[in-house]
Amino acid sequence: MRFRTSISSPQTFFRIIQAIEKLQKKCIIKFSDTEMRVICNNDANEGGIQVWSVIKVDSVFTNYRIQSNANNEITVLLNAEALLSALKSASTTAETADGDDVVLKLAKKNDQAVLCFEINGTTRLGKSMRVSHDVKIEVMKPTDVASLKEPMCPDPDVHILLPPLQKLRTVVERLKPMSDVLAVSASHSGSLKLSISTDSVKLDTEWRNCTIPKMTREPTDRDDENDHDPGKHFPVLVSTRSFLKFLNSHVVSTTTIACICQRHCMILYVYVGDYADAGGVLTFYIPAIIDGDD
Amino acid sequence: METHFNFGFTSTLLQARDAQKSRVVRSLSLSDDFIPRHTRDSPQCLPNLESITLSMADSDNDHAHAQPVLKASVHDISYLTTLLRGVNFANRATITATESGFTVTVEEARTLLATAYIFADIFDEYAYHSEVAPSQQSQDDGVDNIAFEIPLNTLIECLNIFGTAGAHSLSTASGAKRWKKQGEDKGSDEEEGEGATNKRGGIAQYFGAGSEKSTGMRLTYEGAGFPLTLLIAEDADGPTTACEIVTYDPEPHLDLQFKPDKMTLKIILKSSWLRDALSELDPSCDKLTFIGNPPPDGAPLAASGRPSRNAEVSRGTSTGKPMLRIHADGTFGSTEMDYPNDRDVLETFECEQSQAMTMLKYSYRTSHITRAIRALQNSTKTSLRIDSEGLMSMQFLMPSPSVRSRAGADAFIEFRCLPLEEAL
Repeated sequence: MRFRTSISSPQTFFRIIQAIEKLQKKCIIKFSDTEMRVICNNDANEGGIQVWSVIKVDSVFTNYRIQSNANNEITVLLNAEALLSALKSASTTAETADGDDVVLKLAKKNDQAVLCFEINGTTRLGKSMRVSHDVKIEVMKPTDVASLKEPMCPDPDVHILLPPLQKLRTVVERLKPMSDVLAVSASHSGSLKLSISTDSVKLDTEWRNCTIPKMTREPTDRDDENDHDPGKHFPVLVSTRSFLKFLNSHVVSTTTIACICQRHCMILYVYVGDYADAGGVLTFYIPAIIDGDD
Repeated sequence: METHFNFGFTSTLLQARDAQKSRVVRSLSLSDDFIPRHTRDSPQCLPNLESITLSMADSDNDHAHAQPVLKASVHDISYLTTLLRGVNFANRATITATESGFTVTVEEARTLLATAYIFADIFDEYAYHSEVAPSQQSQDDGVDNIAFEIPLNTLIECLNIFGTAGAHSLSTASGAKRWKKQGEDKGSDEEEGEGATNKRGGIAQYFGAGSEKSTGMRLTYEGAGFPLTLLIAEDADGPTTACEIVTYDPEPHLDLQFKPDKMTLKIILKSSWLRDALSELDPSCDKLTFIGNPPPDGAPLAASGRPSRNAEVSRGTSTGKPMLRIHADGTFGSTEMDYPNDRDVLETFECEQSQAMTMLKYSYRTSHITRAIRALQNSTKTSLRIDSEGLMSMQFLMPSPSVRSRAGADAFIEFRCLPLEEAL
């Protein structure tokens, strides 16, 4: 099992981990020949939020070499916070990275498997320095890796391009103390609503003229049905706290598409980098809260 | 419960402020020109807020008699939110609306009563339609009003839904007044300082007026049993928020009547002087004592003209007794803060004494008095009065940030607090 690469964009890697760090203590990273997958799938999460992301190797790494008996894939379980602090040091120290300043490799130290970050940087006074971080990892067995499955979802009722996440976050932060449950609804006419309803307050925040992305898949009968009433809203109830956790990904997001599967879940695709030439996508699954009224 | 506006009490405050202004204005005739005068004519309302207004007007026509009791709109909510935040220390607040504006009243521990007086002219549009039939109205002696309770914190959270109603947005949007306050804070010579800073504020306001992002709001209350409805919009193509906040039947409040004829102490000072004193207090101090000494020569200071600063200082030091002392007792010691006998610090000082040369002394719970800090932070002037029963009334003048409403009265917040028993 060998793994060695330079991190060409520590900043991007840092932001990706930052976006998911709040979700759970440990996350899974699966390195393969062409992709890096960051997975948070702990059922014990507040509200059951999960993240399955695919990052192209080229958008974060250079000189990428990987070798293993399991189809050249290495899957590791590690502490997200420890990884984040190593990446933070990498992205701040090696700001003038020209490709070989941050090296990431798999190593074994005192019988403990680690991901070793070797950072070459310069101090503020211009002297060169070397910083090394070892992040303890647990290499997962291929059988365990095979049991990792993305959640199954029905075809979404509606897709919608979200407004800047920073703006959404401001609104949801205000809603959080007022209600634990947030209703998110969207229509095919480009309206997005965040609503809460409690004993003391009912509140609706609406964005109009959101872009509805064109779907590449074949239109089904159901789509035709929907077209009859573009103003119809498809609502889903989610945990306010989970939604706010997803909104932490505003640090990495440029474009975010939300899909609503009524009475089932909400899926959010957060594109890393430019939408047209995305270096990767973080997929958040937020399960619906099933209300008695539904 | 007090259901009418307390104009009588404010008049002194306002007079004092006017006197202040006229002095400043004389040295300011040039910079005043920088303040845009066309503000009222420029289209301030947000396009989509207007369309909401229109659609609501349409629905009004459908059932012409069902006019909402209260209807108000404003293009920038930051001032309103500042006023509401000033009294936001208990979640239940009573709103009492009349034709000339409304009051927001909050009470704590049957001891402290805080009221924000919000006049109709801070709104772009304000309409109050009495629920009471005109014939009944004439029989009623008091001012026609309607009262309801709301969760105040929720109201503020809703207004701040876009994060635009914060103190920061006020400081950037408020222009002249804010600068003036900073000038005061530095303690620079008043006229010079205000003159220079006001001028800068005026320019900033002139250039900033077009690009300033503000959040508009429209408020409707249909009457008893109906929720308070708010429509909030940030800008033309931004999001809109509609919310309904539940209202409750009003509970009777404390009846703390301040008796102006039995007033024993009256002080008008810059709010920052009081704010700094209160924010210095150690949290362990649970008792706060206000001590007033009558002016040394026996005659109230206000009666004499404006003696030179040096003369006053020497007069103050010669007796050794401060005119106003704030004494705080805590677990780890006590703190004393003295206000000198100086017109620059205490603009007005009146202390009525029945027996000559005894000092006036009343104690209050610190946690109650420090509730006023938030109101003090955005206020310019404070009128502090204590009557013979120890009831304290603090009125904070809250300067309106917009040039437009300068013609009308600035809103103010009043805190009334009962003294601790032992002081009596």
